[in-house]
Amino acid sequence: MLQYILRRILLIIPVMLGVSVIVFSIMAMTPSDPARLMLGERAPAEQVQALRERLGLDQPVIVQYVRWLSRVVQLDFGRSIRSGRPVLEEILQRLPATIELALLATLVSIVIGVPIGVLSATRPNSAIDHSATVLAFTGLAMPVFWQGLMMILIFSVLLGWLPSSGRLGGWQHYVLPTLTLATSAVAAITRMTRSTMLEILTQDYIRTARSKGAIERAIVYRHALSNALIPVVTVIGLQFGGLLAGAVITETIFAWPGIGRLAVDAISAKDFPVVQGVVIMFALTYALVNLIVDVTYAYLDPRLRTRYE
Amino acid sequence: MKRILVLFVVFGLLFSSSALAYTITVAQGADAVTLDPHRTNDLPSARIMRQIYDTLVVQQEDLQLVPGLAESWTQLDELTWEFRLRDGVTFHNGELLRASDVKFTLDRLRDPAFAATPAFLVTFIDDIVVVDDLTLTITTKTPFVPMLSHLAHTATSILNEQAVTAAGEDYGTRVVVGTGPFKFVLWETASRIVLERNPEWWGGEVLPSQIVFRPIPEGTVRAIELETGAVDIVYGLEPLDARRLEADPNIRIAKVETLATHYIGFNVQKPPFNNPLVRRALNHAIDVDAIVEVIWRGQAVRATAPISPRVFGAHPGLEVYEYNPELARQLLAEAGHPAGFTTSIWTNNNPLRIQVAEVVQAQLGELGIDVEIQVLEWGTYLADTAAGLHDMFILGWVSVTADADYGLYSLFHSSQFGDPGNRTFFSNPRVDELLDLGRAESDPALRLAYYKEAQEIIHNEAPWIFLLVTAEENGLRANIEGFVPHPAGHHRLYNLVRN
Repeated sequence: MLQYILRRILLIIPVMLGVSVIVFSIMAMTPSDPARLMLGERAPAEQVQALRERLGLDQPVIVQYVRWLSRVVQLDFGRSIRSGRPVLEEILQRLPATIELALLATLVSIVIGVPIGVLSATRPNSAIDHSATVLAFTGLAMPVFWQGLMMILIFSVLLGWLPSSGRLGGWQHYVLPTLTLATSAVAAITRMTRSTMLEILTQDYIRTARSKGAIERAIVYRHALSNALIPVVTVIGLQFGGLLAGAVITETIFAWPGIGRLAVDAISAKDFPVVQGVVIMFALTYALVNLIVDVTYAYLDPRLRTRYE
Repeated sequence: MKRILVLFVVFGLLFSSSALAYTITVAQGADAVTLDPHRTNDLPSARIMRQIYDTLVVQQEDLQLVPGLAESWTQLDELTWEFRLRDGVTFHNGELLRASDVKFTLDRLRDPAFAATPAFLVTFIDDIVVVDDLTLTITTKTPFVPMLSHLAHTATSILNEQAVTAAGEDYGTRVVVGTGPFKFVLWETASRIVLERNPEWWGGEVLPSQIVFRPIPEGTVRAIELETGAVDIVYGLEPLDARRLEADPNIRIAKVETLATHYIGFNVQKPPFNNPLVRRALNHAIDVDAIVEVIWRGQAVRATAPISPRVFGAHPGLEVYEYNPELARQLLAEAGHPAGFTTSIWTNNNPLRIQVAEVVQAQLGELGIDVEIQVLEWGTYLADTAAGLHDMFILGWVSVTADADYGLYSLFHSSQFGDPGNRTFFSNPRVDELLDLGRAESDPALRLAYYKEAQEIIHNEAPWIFLLVTAEENGLRANIEGFVPHPAGHHRLYNLVRN
């Protein structure tokens, strides 16, 4: 198992290389000049050219990429073109905020989504099942932007219970962004849990367990759920990766100082070093999350454990 | 009696605002990019830098120029100015302000190798000579009277040479040293910037003990934070939020006409816009009042001149081109286009400008003018309009120095085609002459006369459809006093009182 994990970790390197090449190429192909964006419309052409030379932007794309790569292997991601801050510092300052939110949202979605999914599956076509289905689809359909503003309106303005933005000042600041972010994840996990549980509960071994007189609770939680969780774990992993990378709308509404906004601002400003740094970080995170998901599979399914060993 | 007097003094000191410690929290729509005035030209950064730094000259809220770090100045000849600095001014790191700091600052700003973002503000400088610790001379390349308003811009904030040199690339993010009313304490990116009172400030008493700037990108959430009292001041309320908050007795709206003008430009080199009759016709064909009312929703006033009325030199009384489609048709027929023509209008991805383009398309369509809207990415938009590839375009201009030279020269002088600002490629010898005279003339009355005539010609030649001047609405909690908004958007906060 350890060898498998080490092999997977090493495989991350070519993945990140590939991602960096693709992103660098796409950024180079997009129109507009980062030097012009920095200096503004008033700057004379000579000044723009001087800045391009200073930043190395006048070199061929391949030369720029190789220079960047040679610094990255020394863990030097360069400095932001806009702020002058080291890219690693920019990312590390913002990353904890996004990870906190993504972890909390994932935890909430598991704690709510899995039990409701199990409940729905064990009481199919009941009032509970229908209610859970309606809630799940509502959660999936609600635009994040609208939902966030509605929650602020209700809980901050009308009730005055919770703050409406920012991250500093206590646990209360985490509630609304976490719930906003968790909503669609809860919906997805609920539906997936229900679907896989329903399939498993019709399996022969479940019928055998019932006929042997096993109590229903043991059948559901020991025999059925552990098998049902395998695809659910996949969804959780995908959700977590998506939350890390795609929380930009939530971060904007709640003025949350996360990595999503950093990425969007950097892309708009064509801040190449920051974009590259953020993308590498996202790729690394996705790869690690996938690895954790695969290891969890092995924990849940002994057949896979044997195969990995 | 003595005891009563002492008691009075003690209570007075205890309850005077300067003895009280209070924090003012300000929300704006974006975080600062950097606090190095040479590395950026964006408004969120400038608003914070205004609290940390000082300039040689100060432009007050009524746009009068008064001494700043320079207590006096003298024009020695038409190219040379001598500045005398205030004695005893200290930077936040304890260093005394010296003329060498001023020279260092301005040299760094105009150094082509450094490529400072706002370097265009000091291109008029030829040389800076330190005479003694508190005296320096600035020599300009050509006579340049608007220099004082340029030296009041935040981009020319005076830096401490020792602090900037020692900090290197970290200056502006980790190390920030000025002479201003507030010292930099910390910056948690995308979260808050904290400044604390500078008790040694030369400019007077600094009342708040602390200022906290919070970036809150979503406009409605900014307004909600003001409503709930989580912030004291919000810069730039959205129109709908401002209208809603007007009725709240706990909130006050401070509105100010800015120095920003929005316009639709014609490429006067390209037919049919090389014909002034066509340009005047289109001015009559667009209902600008409707644009101001519906798109800007009260956060703008109709432009009567190419520059904001707050700018020194703005024409006091040009007549607007009245919305008159019949007259527009008549002028088009006279110009040889009775059936209209096909053209395009460019804009960047700014929602308000896109709406303007849609209005233009609809209203010109009624005259048989088929307008295609093209939305371009900002960098491409600048590059291609500078190259003259466009027909019509929508843009804005901020006369940041509040002087007509800045507002007119770059936009209408024939030497400024393309990137410097003249994207209409407008060229008129008399306007050139007047603008050149205006920047060299030291008599304000004569300058006003030159700029008045120049604007009358520009208005008549109509290289633009003159649209509007924006107004900024700032929200304050009702218990905050002393806030006077600055038309440039760099509001000073040192004398705010919280009741």
